[in-house]
Amino acid sequence: MSQDLINGLYRRDFLRMSALGVGATSLSGWMSVLAANAAKSSTNQKSCILLWMDGGPSHKDTFDLKPESEGAGEFKPISTSAPGVQISEHFPKLAKWMHKAAVLRSMSTGEGAHGRAKYFLHTGYKEGQGGLTYPSLGAIASMEKGVPGFPIPNFITIGGNRSYGSGYLGSAHQPLVVADAARGVENLKPLVGENKFDGRVSLLQEMEKAFHKDYGSEAGAAHQTTYQRAVTMMKSSQAKAFDISQESAAVRSAYGSTKFGDGCLLARRLVETGVRFVEVVLGGWDTHQDNFERVKNLSTQVDSAMSALLKDLQERGLLDSTMVIWMGDFGRTPKINQRGPKPGRDHFPRAWSSVMAGGGIKGGQVIGKTDKNGASVEDRPVSTIDFMATACTGLGIDFTRSIQTPIGRPIRLVEKGANPLKELFS
Amino acid sequence: MLTLRLVFAGMFLAYLSGTMEAADNKPEAPKAKAGKKVAATPKSFASSNLLACKEFSNLIDLEINKKLAAEKSPASPKSSDAEFMRRVYLDLIGRIPSVEEAESFLASSASDKRAKLIEELLADPEFGKHLADIWQALLLPRISDNRRVQAEPLVTWLENQFNTNVSWDKITRELLTATGAQDENGAVTYFVANATVDKMTDSASRLFLGVQLQCAQCHDHPFVEWKQKDYWGMAAFFMKVQTRAPKGKDTGAPTVAETKVVNLKKNNLPEAAQNVPAKFPGDREAKLNEAAPYRPSFADWLVAKNNPYFSRAMVNRVWQQFFGQGMVDPVDDMHEGNAPTHPELLEGLAGQFAASGFDIKHLIRAICNSETYQRSSKPTEGNKDTSLPLLAHMPVRNLSPEQLFDSISTLVGKGNRPSKAEMKKQKQVKGALLRGPRAQFVAFFQPAEGVSQLSYETGIPQVLRLMNSPQMNQTQAFTRLMGKDMPPAAAMEKLFLATLSRKPTPEETEKMNAFLAKAGDSRTGLSDILWVLMNSSEFTLNH
Repeated sequence: MSQDLINGLYRRDFLRMSALGVGATSLSGWMSVLAANAAKSSTNQKSCILLWMDGGPSHKDTFDLKPESEGAGEFKPISTSAPGVQISEHFPKLAKWMHKAAVLRSMSTGEGAHGRAKYFLHTGYKEGQGGLTYPSLGAIASMEKGVPGFPIPNFITIGGNRSYGSGYLGSAHQPLVVADAARGVENLKPLVGENKFDGRVSLLQEMEKAFHKDYGSEAGAAHQTTYQRAVTMMKSSQAKAFDISQESAAVRSAYGSTKFGDGCLLARRLVETGVRFVEVVLGGWDTHQDNFERVKNLSTQVDSAMSALLKDLQERGLLDSTMVIWMGDFGRTPKINQRGPKPGRDHFPRAWSSVMAGGGIKGGQVIGKTDKNGASVEDRPVSTIDFMATACTGLGIDFTRSIQTPIGRPIRLVEKGANPLKELFS
Repeated sequence: MLTLRLVFAGMFLAYLSGTMEAADNKPEAPKAKAGKKVAATPKSFASSNLLACKEFSNLIDLEINKKLAAEKSPASPKSSDAEFMRRVYLDLIGRIPSVEEAESFLASSASDKRAKLIEELLADPEFGKHLADIWQALLLPRISDNRRVQAEPLVTWLENQFNTNVSWDKITRELLTATGAQDENGAVTYFVANATVDKMTDSASRLFLGVQLQCAQCHDHPFVEWKQKDYWGMAAFFMKVQTRAPKGKDTGAPTVAETKVVNLKKNNLPEAAQNVPAKFPGDREAKLNEAAPYRPSFADWLVAKNNPYFSRAMVNRVWQQFFGQGMVDPVDDMHEGNAPTHPELLEGLAGQFAASGFDIKHLIRAICNSETYQRSSKPTEGNKDTSLPLLAHMPVRNLSPEQLFDSISTLVGKGNRPSKAEMKKQKQVKGALLRGPRAQFVAFFQPAEGVSQLSYETGIPQVLRLMNSPQMNQTQAFTRLMGKDMPPAAAMEKLFLATLSRKPTPEETEKMNAFLAKAGDSRTGLSDILWVLMNSSEFTLNH
């Protein structure tokens, strides 16, 4: 299904709802605004699925193997569908899709503590810089590319216990956090009948007016926006996308029948529905101890889920418009540490790997290069802002644009000096 | 630029050393650096004269009003009784007042009824519980490593400390030096939940010094004076601490002890670790007796009255608790590049807190009795801009998950809490967390770390639960509130008092009555109104 068709379908749905008078009677305040925005909706936009490997995956045990090096580790490289591109033996299914993917082996990002690294890589700004809270890539995509008035959030995070939110872009671009894909979003049905519920909501809006006028607080405005978004979602047909039980058992098992696999399947359903940005989190990559057993297990989960995701997107004609990114906090030390009975690798932001596929990315290539030990970047270093600029470019977002922040200071979406990887886009 | 940095650094060092006096395990005596002039040294907190509550409150108002005048920002008027009452209940005992409590306070005509209410709430056992909620979240980080750590012994211990008003230096010392089994000494939970040398160093510096030292773990911090050797020098105090988790059939609680010798291998140190002698951060090396425990030396230095960091870190945190934002923000990032909004006030409060012997209730009493705290949260013409935290009006704050749950419980009855017997049963299940409805609710509504109280970042799934889950919409609660034959108009007023702690305005009465008339059946109409009130911004926020 093309994005045009998707947008068209949802717009028809929306208009039908208004025609039924839902907008006119009970939800006049919110719905009329949404209807006005829907008319301006753009078409043929790109989406992004970010597969976030929480904790920082070891580059030397995943996408940048160095079998001859010091601290090479236990895994063997295998050949892939991209000539000359080798990856870990624990990605046999994904290996068949590497002609669609680009491996970035020269990530070099400087932040070695989890919290600060994740913040930096999600937002492109260092935590605390300039006293602002910065929006993450998902919130930027939601603002820049989300169809205005779309009834479910354009930024959805699956499986993570913390999200990097909308920062100064405000509560309209906050991510919807789905803790467990198999359970989807609960409490979507009102406890009372539709009419009664609409009556309650409209009394709530009526009653709130005085409070919001008198207090005019940021928290109050965000509370109101969150309720509006929740009610709009309850009333939408798109919310069905959250129910992965509608998929066959065969499909779920193709994704691996893991929590992460379910998350990737849900991500596919959401992108199909028209959501612009979905993040799926797989934790457990902080392998200071027992690195090899854990990385093998995690790689196997990624292998099934990511290959099934690429296949599904391809079959639905969505791969060219959906950019899939695989990355984590940082890489891990090229040497194996000497601690404990089952040693591991520690944090390493100086040189590491990420993967990008689909969404117009020219596949089958490797960007950059590390030295013989995987310890430093020898060619085409990719900084955090280079990476952000690249992702924005892939999504068709002008990363040099400035946004007016609430404190009145314009801030660029990505800081000056970013050098996007133009060679990724053919 | 470099020169400026050096001068700044010099001033900071002088400032640090200037506030410290020599004694064993006490911060060192003032020392002028050779060739450098000691910059104007702030008064040592230890010499501040203790003020009575009223003067203490005045000190707050004086500094706040001074800045308001300088910024030409008019102050909002004093809060109404209802506004003040709801706020002080939420801030001191973590829940809204019940209908009976609200009625009794609003009806009183005593001129000192606000001060009296503050006293009553400070003496209420729920005060300790509320503070324990706040501190257990800080002391026991909710990370996956801690999913099997029991919170309950720590919560009970903290509750007891705060209710009996044990001084902050004693509480801190106990947390930092605790040994024994967790079920016998709740304070050991702090180490159990931060059970490596680096986690403990990060946490203790953030919580008790108000400084983020974690960056200095791997490199010298670019802005802050404290270097890698300060980090590992502080970490050295924790090198002998070991925890032992219950193993196999052992159903006992985890224990914490200080061993006789440092076992570096057991400490599981990160690659960046440096083996340096124990050193008080920003200060001198410690003279330790190798056979004795190390932590008490660190605790003595930390809680000394003339350690400016300790007092300042706590008053800044308490300030954040009551005003939504610290005078230094973030509260754990105090350094010379991050100036306080009200520097004299921060020094004044820190001085008073130290002079009072770190009396937490004394500090909170002064804040709650101040004009600043008792201002309305409604902005007026000319003070709507809140980009500078001037406190011309009280800020509107989001409720913590605990405050929201306990407020809903106050409304719908206490049936939601597990009984003592239930709690005991759960404790016996090995490794099981205490997961009553309250703990589940709190886990589901927990904001991400670092989210400010001033912003509402509760998500859509949480809002859906409030609107649509049967647990949040119990009909028996409604019946309990209403009794049997209450006339609709009176019932409606009662719903306002129960949820928003105020009576409806004439416009609201008119609107609600029209709604009730249209609903036909008044009980259905009233249950709709209760739903509306419980889902309103006014209910969900502290204003």
